[in-house]
Amino acid sequence: MNAKNVLKFCMIGLCGMATLAFTLALDTTPAFAHGERSQEPFLRMRTVNWYDTEWVGKTTAVNDIATLKGKFHLSTDWPRAVVKPNRTFLNVGSPSSVFVRLSSKVNGQPMFTSGPMEIGRDYEYEVTLKARLPGHHHIHPMYAVKDAGPIAGPGSWMDITGKYSDFTNPIKTLTGETFDSETKGTATGIMWHLFWAALAIFWVGFFAVRPMYLIRARVLAAQGDELLLDPIDRKVGAILLVVILVVVAIGYFSAEAQHPITVPLQAGETKVKPLPVKPNPLVVDVIHAEYDVPGRAMRINIRATNNGTQPVSIGEFTTAGIRFTNKVGAAKLDPNYPAELVASAGLTLDNESPIMPGATVEIKIESKDVLWEVQRLVDILHDPDQRFAGLLMSWTDSGERLINPIHAPVLPVFTRLGGA
Amino acid sequence: MFRTAEIIRASKLPPEGVAMSRHIDYIYFLPILFVTIIGTFHMHFDLLAGDWDFWLDWKDRQWWPIVTPITAITFCAALQYYNWVNYRQPFGATITILALLTGKLVTVVAAWWWWSNYPFNFVMPATLLPSAMVLDIVLLLTRSWVLTSVVGAWLFAALFYPTNWALFAYSHTPVVVDGNLLSWADYMGFAYVRTGTPEYIRMIEVGSLRTFGGHSTMISAFFAAFASSLMYILWWQFGKFFCTAYFYLTDERNRTTKVHDVLAYGDLARAEKAKLAGGKV
Repeated sequence: MNAKNVLKFCMIGLCGMATLAFTLALDTTPAFAHGERSQEPFLRMRTVNWYDTEWVGKTTAVNDIATLKGKFHLSTDWPRAVVKPNRTFLNVGSPSSVFVRLSSKVNGQPMFTSGPMEIGRDYEYEVTLKARLPGHHHIHPMYAVKDAGPIAGPGSWMDITGKYSDFTNPIKTLTGETFDSETKGTATGIMWHLFWAALAIFWVGFFAVRPMYLIRARVLAAQGDELLLDPIDRKVGAILLVVILVVVAIGYFSAEAQHPITVPLQAGETKVKPLPVKPNPLVVDVIHAEYDVPGRAMRINIRATNNGTQPVSIGEFTTAGIRFTNKVGAAKLDPNYPAELVASAGLTLDNESPIMPGATVEIKIESKDVLWEVQRLVDILHDPDQRFAGLLMSWTDSGERLINPIHAPVLPVFTRLGGA
Repeated sequence: MFRTAEIIRASKLPPEGVAMSRHIDYIYFLPILFVTIIGTFHMHFDLLAGDWDFWLDWKDRQWWPIVTPITAITFCAALQYYNWVNYRQPFGATITILALLTGKLVTVVAAWWWWSNYPFNFVMPATLLPSAMVLDIVLLLTRSWVLTSVVGAWLFAALFYPTNWALFAYSHTPVVVDGNLLSWADYMGFAYVRTGTPEYIRMIEVGSLRTFGGHSTMISAFFAAFASSLMYILWWQFGKFFCTAYFYLTDERNRTTKVHDVLAYGDLARAEKAKLAGGKV
């Protein structure tokens, strides 16, 4: 290699090191959440419409109980590209098992195994969690659909204080013993692994102490294997065979004696009935929907008919866990809901007056906020199936909430002029 | 005790050659062969049977004893071919499983325990070491890969469940949570949240073997033994295919002959002899 080439390689190496150093200097902030915004908008908007999500116990000490609860509606506008929810599981989106899940109930029914749910219906869930790993964690409800994948709900930060070493999770078995889920079986497992590893190392070592490869290959090629098949190998092999079979038998029968009552893994299916359909006097049809790209606004024209006896005021449009509210909706907001998912003045109506009983009105609703871009929902415009879905919430004068699922194709508006 | 001295004499290597061969043994055996098996087999095994081995709540009585031995016997058979046919060394399966277990423990400790904070008992791997040692010993005692494929491979698979029952029997203890009967393993899978691994991902207790009631483990073990036998034959042949080396020798009359004795290539005297014999060694 001549001096010129040496110089070339040195320069390339220096450039590489400089790039690495520059990258580290530019981006050193740790990532805490887990990429929920990267999920395609059609998955977040048109499958599970989450609402009333609550994180109870946003700061807990190790071993304390926290609760994740809320409701979700399975959109009738379920995308063709997503497998129907014939086998689903309500999960928790968390950075590893920072909480231990003690209980998970959907419509009051424990959900240990997965099961089918109905499109167009609502479900209420409550997950009881026990704080395990100290830290600042981003926790989501998550709805997993077999063959489609997990669909993340809204996330909020939950803090756990204390020391992990204090964590215990004792569970009493049906046979009356109490095991700690953190440690049960560890010592026995490690003991068996070490025992078998020691025996295996002895077996390999028995041959490794003698010439192993080159010499034996030469002898085998030149003279055949008679000399190589040492009788002591066969004797030790035969003894070891007996030892292995006896130890396996002892291990098996002693485990049987220690745990005489066992059950197979449970692999059933949880069948949860959806919440009963509440009578809703408000009928909403979407006439037209467009997304204003420069204005960061979804404009939805609806025709609403109030078949009830009380005036109704529209207050919130929610989709993908993001909430756009006007004054009516903002007054009903849970103050603990993550502020980064709320556009409290993001909803405007061209006619703010309540919809009177018996009236049919056309209303232009605009949900406008930078959240459309921050939450990457604007990517809907790159979708082969450009539609939106969400929940429109309104309240009667007496405070009763009415929920109307809405969905429609979305037309993009690429210039302000076009959207005017 | 051993025939080492006779073997060294028979190799006709000078003392420096013997010393060098031992150095090659050490350099090749641990840093190259062992690490290569970890790097290759560990990945293949995890892709095929990883979940059954990673998670406590996948270790059922039906799929776990079928999938694990059938997957594990593959590299064991190929490495047995390499070690037995070329060197008459009967530890091909044992070193394969030792390497697999080493790779598994690196993953379990680094990825699942330290990085992801799952308790060790939840992600403890199964052991196949007794099965592997038995496979090696059967080859040593019978000196026949055909008999090993019948007796050894059957024992390899059949021993898997009873061996691991000693480690995991406790995980089938019944627990009642929220009025539902679960095994301890089910409870662990439920309690320790896996965001990307919802419950339905588990491939457990699926299929018509459940109709055999309490005997499905036995039937699974027999099926695994039968399939392992076939897999052993297939992978022994893979070992043969990949271990077969040859070179072409061109003599003075420009006749080219395929020579399978690769040792002759490094042995000038034999190569010269081969050349003179027109490529026939």
